[in-house]
Amino acid sequence: MKTVLLNRSLALFFLGLFFGISGCKITLVPSYDAQLKEQIESTSKEIDRFYLNMMDMTSNAEGGRAYDQFREGYINIEVELLSLLNKNKVRPLNTHSTRICEITLQIWRKYKQEHKEDDAIPDGLIKLNMLAMNDLMYAMLIAEKGKAIADNPPN
Amino acid sequence: MNFDINEVLFQMTDAIKQNVAENWDEVKTPANNFLQNRKERYTLLADLLINNEISQPRFDSRMEDEKLIAEAEFHAIAVISKAIAQKAANAAIDIFQNAVKAAITVAT
Repeated sequence: MKTVLLNRSLALFFLGLFFGISGCKITLVPSYDAQLKEQIESTSKEIDRFYLNMMDMTSNAEGGRAYDQFREGYINIEVELLSLLNKNKVRPLNTHSTRICEITLQIWRKYKQEHKEDDAIPDGLIKLNMLAMNDLMYAMLIAEKGKAIADNPPN
Repeated sequence: MNFDINEVLFQMTDAIKQNVAENWDEVKTPANNFLQNRKERYTLLADLLINNEISQPRFDSRMEDEKLIAEAEFHAIAVISKAIAQKAANAAIDIFQNAVKAAITVAT
C-alpha cells in the first residue's frame, strides 16, 4: 500500500515537474492583431460616412436615393467586410470573431438587397441600418481588442 | 525539498481571482454599451412602425436581425471572457513553474 502511494506521489510530482518546466501555456484565443483592429475601425468609419452621406446629401424625392446612386458604396464596403471575414477565418482559435464577421456581412447584404428592391430608403431606416451596423462593428472591435488582454503579461 | 503544494495552490488561486477581478471592467463596459445600443435601436424601431415609416413585415424582419446582432455581441463577450481566462490560467501556471524551479534549485 505504501509503495503504491509513493509511486503515485512520485508520478504526480514528475507530471507537475514536466508541466512546470516545459513552458506549458494555455491558449484559448489568437493573438491580438493591431492591423486587423485598424481595418475594423476604418471599415466602421466608411460605413458611417456612407449612411451619413446618404441621409444628409440626398432625399427620396426624384429618385435621389435610388439604389444605383449607392451601388458603388455598397460594393466597396462589402469588399472590406469580406476581407475582414477572410482574415479572421484563417486564424486558428478564432471562431467567435469569424462568426461576428459572417453575421455583419449577412446583415449588410440584406440591407443592400432591401434598398435594391425598394429603390428608395427613408431617413428612419437609414438611421436604423447605421445603428445596427455600428453595433456589429463595435462587437468586432471589442472581440479583437479583447485578445490583447490575453497577450498582456499576467498580474 | 522546499515545495509546499498547499501554499503554491493558494497562490495560484489568488492569481486567478486577481486577474479575473482586475479585468472584469473589460466585460462590463461593452456589455453595458451593447444594452444601451439595443435600447436605442428598439426605440427607433418602435417609432418607425408607429409612424408607418416601415411595414409590419419589415419590422418583424428587423426583429429577426436583432437575434443575429445579439449573437454577435455574445461572441464578442466570449472572446473577452476567454482572454481573461487564458491570462488567469497562465498566471497560475507561472506561479507553479516558478515554485517547481525554485524547489529544484534548492535541491541541487
